[in-house]
Amino acid sequence: MRYVKLFKEKFPEFFEALKKWGEVHAPVKHGKFYSFKRVSSPGEVVLDYNRTMIPPKKFFIKPLEAIMKVKVGRGYEPIAEEPKRLVLLGLHACDINGLRILDTVFMDEPKDPYYATRRENAIIVGVSCKPDDHCFCKSMGADYAWVGFDLFLHDIEHSYIIRVGSLKGEEIVEGLGNLMVEPSQEDFIKFRDFELNRSRMFKRALELSHLPEIADALYNSDLWTKFADKCVGCTSCNLVCPTCRCYDVAENVDLSLKEGVRTRRWDSCFIRSHALVAGGLNFRPTRLDRFKHRYNCKSSMEPRTGLCFCVGCGRCSVFCPAGIDHVEVLNTLWGLT
Amino acid sequence: MVWDLCVPKLAKIVEVIELTPIEKLFKLEFVSEEDAKVFTFKPGQFIEVSVFGVGEVPISICKSPTRSGPLELAIRRVGRVTNAIHKLKPGDIVGIRGPLGNGFPVEKMRGFDVLFVAGGLGMAPLRSVLQYVIDNRREYGDIIFLYGVRSYREALFRDMAIDMVEHPEKWGLKMFLSYEREDEVFEGLRQKYPERVRKGVVTVLFECADLYIKPDKVCAVIGGPPIMYRFVLKELAKRKIPPERIYLTLERRMKCGVGKCGHCIVGGATAIKYVCKDGPVFTYSDALAVRGLV
Ligand SMILES: Cc1cc2nc3c(=O)[nH]c(=O)nc-3n(C[C@H](O)[C@H](O)[C@H](O)COP(=O)(O)OP(=O)(O)OC[C@H]3O[C@@H](n4cnc5c(N)ncnc54)[C@H](O)[C@@H]3O)c2cc1C
Ligand code: SF4
Ligand code: SF4
Ligand code: FES
Repeated sequence: MRYVKLFKEKFPEFFEALKKWGEVHAPVKHGKFYSFKRVSSPGEVVLDYNRTMIPPKKFFIKPLEAIMKVKVGRGYEPIAEEPKRLVLLGLHACDINGLRILDTVFMDEPKDPYYATRRENAIIVGVSCKPDDHCFCKSMGADYAWVGFDLFLHDIEHSYIIRVGSLKGEEIVEGLGNLMVEPSQEDFIKFRDFELNRSRMFKRALELSHLPEIADALYNSDLWTKFADKCVGCTSCNLVCPTCRCYDVAENVDLSLKEGVRTRRWDSCFIRSHALVAGGLNFRPTRLDRFKHRYNCKSSMEPRTGLCFCVGCGRCSVFCPAGIDHVEVLNTLWGLT
Repeated sequence: MVWDLCVPKLAKIVEVIELTPIEKLFKLEFVSEEDAKVFTFKPGQFIEVSVFGVGEVPISICKSPTRSGPLELAIRRVGRVTNAIHKLKPGDIVGIRGPLGNGFPVEKMRGFDVLFVAGGLGMAPLRSVLQYVIDNRREYGDIIFLYGVRSYREALFRDMAIDMVEHPEKWGLKMFLSYEREDEVFEGLRQKYPERVRKGVVTVLFECADLYIKPDKVCAVIGGPPIMYRFVLKELAKRKIPPERIYLTLERRMKCGVGKCGHCIVGGATAIKYVCKDGPVFTYSDALAVRGLV
């Protein structure tokens, strides 16, 4: 890994270099919460945020989008948007790992062309963070991003130590010339202290060893009911999850009856029809079935990344209107509370 | 960019045959010769069929790649898209994506006897394997076919099924037929061939077929409604047919057909499978390892 150092007062120049590369999106504050928004000046960016409500997946799979034109009787034509260069500035390690999980699905053959185009035209600039009461990425092994970013900024008081993770990242660093300097030994010591301190700050932990078994082997445990009964099936946990990726497809023609579009939109396994098939047979007819399905899906391992389908960002717990806590559910099942 | 499996290719309906009051056989040809040339498939694979402006549904190819001529699909009218398909006539154009899914391992099955168990619409994917095995008759041992239907009116490809019951030598296989509801045609058939035709659900046929089932050299190919699998699997287990030689084709809700949209995910946390790309054909061993598969 190559490391460079950037003094914080030079951040505006760094920002300009990113802006030159592409459209910059970064966390900004919105009332009580944060969200990734297009930014044009470094002053708008909030780098010490806890989490955004909607994860960065929104840049690659849109909540709702037309994917194909339908010409009735004449065929289908992909709606290929002009590739747009995006810079996502300020991603936390868990979100970067969330994207890696999405990549294993959408970049796997056959690649999803819509996702792939956007992904290949984006650069990811990570930033170090400190956990709050809901973060449990450390126990998921997702608190550190070792691949999946172009640049990663580690805050060491007056400067950033930047890890360079890709050729694109290298080019940006090169372009900044002697604005970037070599970190010293003391810088690395500060870097170490920050990370050690951060590591000790985690209050929340999910039992990762045997996690798949917790969800799977205890499938018939009565304890599920205790939580599922509280769930109102609002689908929020799916929408805010950085690795939830189910989508639905619909098709409509316009009034001329000659042209139309095929759209896709985020879907949720909490919706009744998610596993419904012809003849009215539903493979997950009850809310309890669907609740367990989500926990099973999130608790499985992705073999290529070695990551779990939950990266421990804490969003589902923070935004659940019923106060259902992801960690509490699984740890209760395993008998840890 | 790989648009290949993403954008439907055009196909023309060349013939429509009514199979039952709710099922029709559609024969399709690709509009472009190029598309036709590159399209190859295995028995048991499926395609996504699009009706312009209405939507897309997964449908099994119900014919063997060993047979030339148009693609054949047996489609049951159940909802929005399938209703729209049923309104189409020869000359009309639809979209096709595929072939999708893994298909039956016909290569691995070489040298074995093949025991088919089909129920209802499960006949559609199994017909492609049946034709394949018949067309490569020497590569396989005995063929035993158990077909369970509700009644004559509701049976798919019933003329073929009846002909197989009546002329086993001509077809080179042993055909057994069960029906649940009384009707003249099948009742007559039962009286004529009591050793091959029975009243009841498909599992009643095992008794008749036992004479021919040799567990050490048979593989089983099963297609039908989910409820059927449990009972059939029990019968196969009783006969000690190894789970890895039992192949099932499954149905789940599907949108993308290529492992992205998440609808067809099955299993628990220790083993997630996508029915569209890891299946729709699974072995019974898979089913034992993956919760909720059958
Ligand atoms: C691998 C596979 C192979 C299939 N092969 C055949 C075949 O050869 N012949 C045949 O007639 N049918 C087949 N089906 C079933 C067929 O896909 C559904 O009947 C069809 O999608 C229903 O769509 P619809 O728009 O007409 O119904 P809708 O109006 O959408 O709904 C009617 C019913 O169909 C269910 N349904 C909707 N979409 C799907 C879907 N994508 N998958 C399954 N069920 C759905 C709904 O939940 C509802 O119960 C197959 C399904 C799969 C997964
Ligand atoms: S399951 Fe919850 S904590 Fe885990 S990644 Fe998804 S939203 Fe974050
Ligand atoms: S956010 Fe909470 S209430 Fe809503 S579906 Fe998820 S678990 Fe249920
Ligand atoms: S049908 Fe979309 S994942 Fe299987």
